[in-house]
Amino acid sequence: MNQKLLTIVVLAAGFFAASLPVVAHHGVAGYDMTKTVTLHGIVTKFDWSNPHIVVHMDAKNANGEVQNWTIELAAPTHMSRIGWTKNVMKTGDEIIADVHPAQNGAPVGISGTVTFQLKIVVNGQALPMR
Amino acid sequence: MRNRLAGITAALVTTLAFSSILTAQTVAQQEAATTEAQKSARPPDLSGLWTPRPDGIKINTWDSSDPYGEKPELAPMAPWAATKWREARPPFGAKQTYEGINDPVQRFCDPPGITRIYMYPWEFTMIQTPKVVYILYEFTRVWRSIAMDREHPKDPDATWMGDSIGRYEGDTLVIDTIGLNDKTWLDHTGHPHSEALHVIERLRRVDHNTLELAVTIDDPKAYTKSFGGKKYFEATSSPMGEAICAYSEMDSFQKTVIDPTTKQPGK
Repeated sequence: MNQKLLTIVVLAAGFFAASLPVVAHHGVAGYDMTKTVTLHGIVTKFDWSNPHIVVHMDAKNANGEVQNWTIELAAPTHMSRIGWTKNVMKTGDEIIADVHPAQNGAPVGISGTVTFQLKIVVNGQALPMR
Repeated sequence: MRNRLAGITAALVTTLAFSSILTAQTVAQQEAATTEAQKSARPPDLSGLWTPRPDGIKINTWDSSDPYGEKPELAPMAPWAATKWREARPPFGAKQTYEGINDPVQRFCDPPGITRIYMYPWEFTMIQTPKVVYILYEFTRVWRSIAMDREHPKDPDATWMGDSIGRYEGDTLVIDTIGLNDKTWLDHTGHPHSEALHVIERLRRVDHNTLELAVTIDDPKAYTKSFGGKKYFEATSSPMGEAICAYSEMDSFQKTVIDPTTKQPGK
């Protein structure tokens, strides 16, 4: 894979995200792709399975209330291709995750697809990105 | 007597010499002819793991006039097909939505169909044998067999993968498929098709690391004219993983991730 080309494509995809959605098998229609929120909290469940990896985490919102967030990433095969494994995080780990949040305000977000991966830090270590 | 013997010997030697030259020429010609026949009969090598090239990942339809599915209403649909398309609630393209998705792949893990499966960002590979070419797809882990030594049956069943026959034209594998059921979407934007669908795929190695796939969609019951497009794939060394579409996993994902994003605030 040509890294330079991929970088250009990813940046372009991010720039045009509002009009040309990046591709997951189900698209990204439910998310606000122009907005990125950073969640600080604790992993409550790490679901390394198809169709998409799902990270569940408790994060405090601006009012200090704990919200249970559901974050989707790409499928295990696609994540392992950038160096993730089923062991990159586990219940109880500290996590800081960038996500594009759901448009309706629900605590659901998308952190990555096959064409992009936002920053996720677990126990102080940043996980591989695209 | 000696002269006659000499003459006969000379004649024999000459004959032998000539015959050996003739034999050598014939053998050389035969070898040359065989090599040419072998060259034209040797199938093009399409082996390798193929993944969509990054510049083609956003291609959603096989209509080259609207590859990204931004104007799916403009496809040359027959009236009943246009009605059916309007009912489609796809997760991709101009009509994308998470509400009430009725995408048969996402909702039921139905096989994507042979034209749509190439739109997913997953790999495929081909195994070429003289009588059958197998195509193995990473997404949903389905495979097709392309018969290289026969014609279509007169009245094929209508199945998910269809009846595929193939032949080589120089460097291109040409696949002709009929006998497809009408339960799939042609593409990511929900364009329907009938059981009269006739698909032609042309696969060609453009260079060692690039595969060109040209698809022609011909469905006289659903579309007023045939159309087609191209998509490019690049060679990858990444082994195909497991991406089986399990209904139980898809249903869990729908409930856990998709449904919460469709509830209106306050409900």
